[in-house]
Amino acid sequence: MPDDERKMGLERQALTALTFVEIVDTLVGDFDVIEVLTVLTSRCVQLLDTSAAGILLADPDGHLRVIGASTEQIELLELFQIQNDQGPCLDCYSTGAVVVESDLRRSTPWPKFSAESVRVGFPSVCAVPMRLNDVILGCMNLFMAEPVALSAGEVAIAQALADVASIAIVQDLATRQAVIREDQLQHALNSRIAIEQAKGMIAERGGMDMDDSFAKLRSFARNNNRGLTEVAEALVAGTLPIEKLSGRRATDNP
Amino acid sequence: MLRSLVATELRPSLERHRSVHANASRVDTHRLLVNLDQATRIAVAFACQTATTQRSGLGAVCTGVLSVAGAGVSLMASGRSGTVSISDAYVGTLEDVQFAIGVGPSHDAFASGRPVLTPCFDDRASSRWPSFVDLARANGVAAVFAYPLGFNGASIGVLSLYQPADGNLTMSQHDDSVAMAEMITETLLTMQDTAPDGMLAAGLEDAVSYRAQVYQASGMVAVQLRIPVSDALLRMRAHAFATGASVGFVAADIVARRLRLDDDAKGSRNGLVAGTRE
Repeated sequence: MPDDERKMGLERQALTALTFVEIVDTLVGDFDVIEVLTVLTSRCVQLLDTSAAGILLADPDGHLRVIGASTEQIELLELFQIQNDQGPCLDCYSTGAVVVESDLRRSTPWPKFSAESVRVGFPSVCAVPMRLNDVILGCMNLFMAEPVALSAGEVAIAQALADVASIAIVQDLATRQAVIREDQLQHALNSRIAIEQAKGMIAERGGMDMDDSFAKLRSFARNNNRGLTEVAEALVAGTLPIEKLSGRRATDNP
Repeated sequence: MLRSLVATELRPSLERHRSVHANASRVDTHRLLVNLDQATRIAVAFACQTATTQRSGLGAVCTGVLSVAGAGVSLMASGRSGTVSISDAYVGTLEDVQFAIGVGPSHDAFASGRPVLTPCFDDRASSRWPSFVDLARANGVAAVFAYPLGFNGASIGVLSLYQPADGNLTMSQHDDSVAMAEMITETLLTMQDTAPDGMLAAGLEDAVSYRAQVYQASGMVAVQLRIPVSDALLRMRAHAFATGASVGFVAADIVARRLRLDDDAKGSRNGLVAGTRE
């Protein structure tokens, strides 16, 4: 037996190391954050004595949403869903602390969640925070089929894996956010330039000065319920004929 | 099922995160999302304060930090550009000529997303950007180093460095320039963060407004000649080149209706015209 235990221990160490290597490997270059998180949940089930694992991240309204899970079992999804009202994940997300409940058949702060979890065969649960520095992104939820607690060592492994995954999430966010911000700046620059070009077109066509031309552009956009930039860009692109705006004076200028 | 859930629900939810952590009711998403260390964040905050006018200190700071003679920061978008800050008047001249003729090291850096390092104006540089090289030499510039501004391969502009003598930047100058380009990128994006949707931030307005007449004039020429606006700008550049005037000067004349490119043949401006009658 001790030999078996030692072998198990070694196997777990090796598998743990491999899991870290695997996750870190996925972070090189372009990676799909969902893929990383799905790998993480399935490895957690393999590494730790757990039956199911899921990752929940908070949306802008603080709602916990399932991002990845070791299984797509519908009961499990419902268990995650319940936790927007009550449950270990909500507590973990609010406090940033690990929540361990080894026997949900006992009285817990979350009677509705506990009853449902026991009913679908998960009498023991653990939630570790997904965090980067002092910012909590969400948590990882582990479910056990037996009413036993994860050991301190197992919780530490889970937390370490969650930490790596958090880096993946934040990196992905940073990349996506940077692209969004760059696009917004480019759009604003293009928009500003298109408006000047459109002003020139209208001024030339209507024989008016730039102020009247701008008023014309603006009133056309407003009267047609279109954005100023959209109209300007359509004029410049030639998809909106200048004749549509032509007129000698901006008479509809308020 | 999870996959589709994730695809529809996660993407929007990832855009912005809020934490309900005990002592941070509203986490600065910007801080979370952008991998900046504290020093960079502080530098960006200062840079935002200075980078608000054409003659702002941003370009001058670059010359000081990077130990180069001249520096310019330009916003760019598909052939359109505007300088945000220049250290010296000649830098403005050289950035303007690149805008006017549509080629130059800044354009190459913007288009490729990679630094374009020109330690001397050899035959290759002269054949790629003849007008730019001539004007650079005339302004006492012997080397130019253009670093794209942007993250993830995207470009929002260019940091251009000018030197009066041949020679590469040192390794540390190059490394610092790359870091400076990142900081300036973050600065420009941070400035733009405050702008209403679709509008250019007040501090970045100058980058366009000083060329407003050029864009207005290109719209007028497009209508006069019944050609696309992008072609109109080329026509103005050709006219400027033929008459030895700057594009800004040509644009001012067009907007003031002293010059029409469709009646060039009539010699509307001192006979110094390129025949551009349609």
